[in-house]
Amino acid sequence: MSGSNGRYVIECENLAVGYKKKAVLSNINMGFEEGQFVALLGPNGAGKTTLLRTLANLLPLVSGKIRIMGKEISEIHAPELAKLMSVVLTDKVSPPMFSVFEFVSLGRYPHTGYLGRLSAKDCRVVQESLEAVNALDLIDRPFDNISDGERQKVLVARALAQEPQLLVLDEPTIHLDLKHRMEVMAILRDLCRDKGITVVASLHDVDVAAKVADKVVLVKKGEVSDWGTTEKILTGEVVSDLYQFEGVEFNRHLGSMELRGSNSCGKAFVVAGMGSGATLYRLLAKRGFAISTGIVHTNDLDYFVAQSLGADCSSQEPMEGTDSDAMTVAMRYLEECDFVIDSGFDIGSINQANLKLLQAAVEQGKQVFTLRMGDLGKLLGQNGNCICCQDEEHLLEALDGYCGTKQNMEQK
Amino acid sequence: MTEATMEISERQHLFSTRTVLVFSALGVIALLMLLLNIGIGSLNYSPAQIIDIVLHPANDTASTIIWNIRIPRALGAVMGGAYLAIAGLLLQVYFRNPIVGPYILGISSGATVMVSIVMLTTLTAGLAATFNPYMCTLAAILGSYTVMAIILAISTKIRSGITLLIVGLMMGYLCSAVTAILSALAEKERIKGFILWELGSFSGFKWSEIYVLAVLGGALLVLIYALSKPLNAFLLGEQYATSMGVNIKKFRVLILMSSGALAAIVTSVAGPVAFIGMAVPHIARLVFGTSDNRILIPGACLAGAAIASLCDLIARMVMSPVELPLSSITAFFGAPIVLSLLLKRKVEL
Repeated sequence: MSGSNGRYVIECENLAVGYKKKAVLSNINMGFEEGQFVALLGPNGAGKTTLLRTLANLLPLVSGKIRIMGKEISEIHAPELAKLMSVVLTDKVSPPMFSVFEFVSLGRYPHTGYLGRLSAKDCRVVQESLEAVNALDLIDRPFDNISDGERQKVLVARALAQEPQLLVLDEPTIHLDLKHRMEVMAILRDLCRDKGITVVASLHDVDVAAKVADKVVLVKKGEVSDWGTTEKILTGEVVSDLYQFEGVEFNRHLGSMELRGSNSCGKAFVVAGMGSGATLYRLLAKRGFAISTGIVHTNDLDYFVAQSLGADCSSQEPMEGTDSDAMTVAMRYLEECDFVIDSGFDIGSINQANLKLLQAAVEQGKQVFTLRMGDLGKLLGQNGNCICCQDEEHLLEALDGYCGTKQNMEQK
Repeated sequence: MTEATMEISERQHLFSTRTVLVFSALGVIALLMLLLNIGIGSLNYSPAQIIDIVLHPANDTASTIIWNIRIPRALGAVMGGAYLAIAGLLLQVYFRNPIVGPYILGISSGATVMVSIVMLTTLTAGLAATFNPYMCTLAAILGSYTVMAIILAISTKIRSGITLLIVGLMMGYLCSAVTAILSALAEKERIKGFILWELGSFSGFKWSEIYVLAVLGGALLVLIYALSKPLNAFLLGEQYATSMGVNIKKFRVLILMSSGALAAIVTSVAGPVAFIGMAVPHIARLVFGTSDNRILIPGACLAGAAIASLCDLIARMVMSPVELPLSSITAFFGAPIVLSLLLKRKVEL
């Protein structure tokens, strides 16, 4: 499904959108092909909904052109347009006394005759639409008596019953629980793949968008700042800039957000590697500790999480033994820190340096918490200031105890 | 959930067994009410006598009573109830609020004011004009459109059910203030007829008025039934309706104009009749178990005809020979429906 010879299903040319001739967004030029999932991203109030409603022909455009299947939108008759494009909005819909079947069959509106009688084909389309959203079992339920998640699926089914080329959705996952949020996104993605429908949706979860969208459109105050292939466009810096993040970072490799700590409770140096540090960093960030870590390879999960959390990170190229530069940096972190955490990483030939760091910590008399089991843990425990912790919960208790006594000592 | 196994191809049929049954029942009840209204009155005639009079009208008192009093009144109640119900149904779809109706929104009051001007002032050529059905009808339509325009102007600014109801109440107060002033200033002999009319009653219908009702109202009903498909789309709100290809601007004008006209032509001859327009569409939705306007439009017509006829029968017969005001009877069953809707939280204000 790579577009019908490069012909766009929907295309904007020098488009300006807004209310009452006053442009909210202007100079928009973009186009999307058959079967693409397009996510509109941007902070609240930036104009996502305005753009979306204009694309859906629910708001008059201020200037420029929108073309649907190559034809200018204003030149398409309303009933014809309804066969090309359908919408799912955030408006509350609660018609009383409607069964799900009756509700979805309203989507056949542009296809039925004068009084809207359903033909056998219409009924079949309604059934297929419900099947496509995994909601065929709801067919006889009253529409005002189903859950929010089910309702959203039925709203999508109604839109599908119009048999559109283009499906426009305003915040389709807002107010939904996690299960339905992911289910609705999966359904929409499958519609693009299986039926070749172009889906244009405004989304508020960047991480979800990163995982489902083929194309993203970034809506910033006054303009569409960028648009294009998701994987190319959505970098940490771009997302931070788009939402004006403070203390939050989007990591494109992890496809998720990390929430930075307040760095107000002292500094921890985490000796980690091979993914053993990722959850510890988050645990420390939550508690407000500043974090430094080392020595991790730049292809290590720990490295990505530490970077996103803004931790000081002593790193080295992948597959290499420790070089002296990284060791120097790590030793400096070790000196600066208030305490050391040993994540219990596996020890192999190329991370012997980390073992040295732990020994150095013990020798310098640093408080060390270790999650390491077995002999080595005992060995560390016997030497100096070291507390062995069985798991993260135990570690937290130990940390609380340590911080408590430290505060008391400072007060005295 | 026996229907869950129903074949998808069977669903294309518009009328379910329930719909057919309810239609038949309502039809029988409405017809029965019509016949009772013709048959029962302060003067007793046997069914055989009545059939004889209906088939062979003579020039005696009995024929006059049946042909010039009872039959027009019975037909008036049937049509009045049906039209008010449809006017209410359209307003409920338009405002997406099950609690509105021509009386509640003050549209009937608007019609009342204009009719009172025609009936009470010397602006028109004296008493003769009072009995000119066209004059009153035109005035009533003008009045109801005026109020409707005001309500629309306000409701587009503030989208809330409470606003609608309060605006309707205020319109009602203002209009009754105007009519009160007009009646204080009016000549005595004009007031009596006006007061009776203002209480709401299907009595005193002339055949000429019946013709006006039948022709104008019948045409409007045909038009409205033709609109039932876009009306259904409108249940999802204007945005969705637009996205399905409904021409909202044209459609909006059509439903409001026809709703206002229906309410106005009934009001011009029967006076402001409370609650029928609000309660009947609701009852119809309940008994048919659907919001599908293709079923509700004929359904509400029948239910409105039956209920208005029943109310008129009660108004005439309960305290006979004293006739009770029709609006009191309709309020007795309409007001509890509004309250129960509120209590069940079916209405969002």
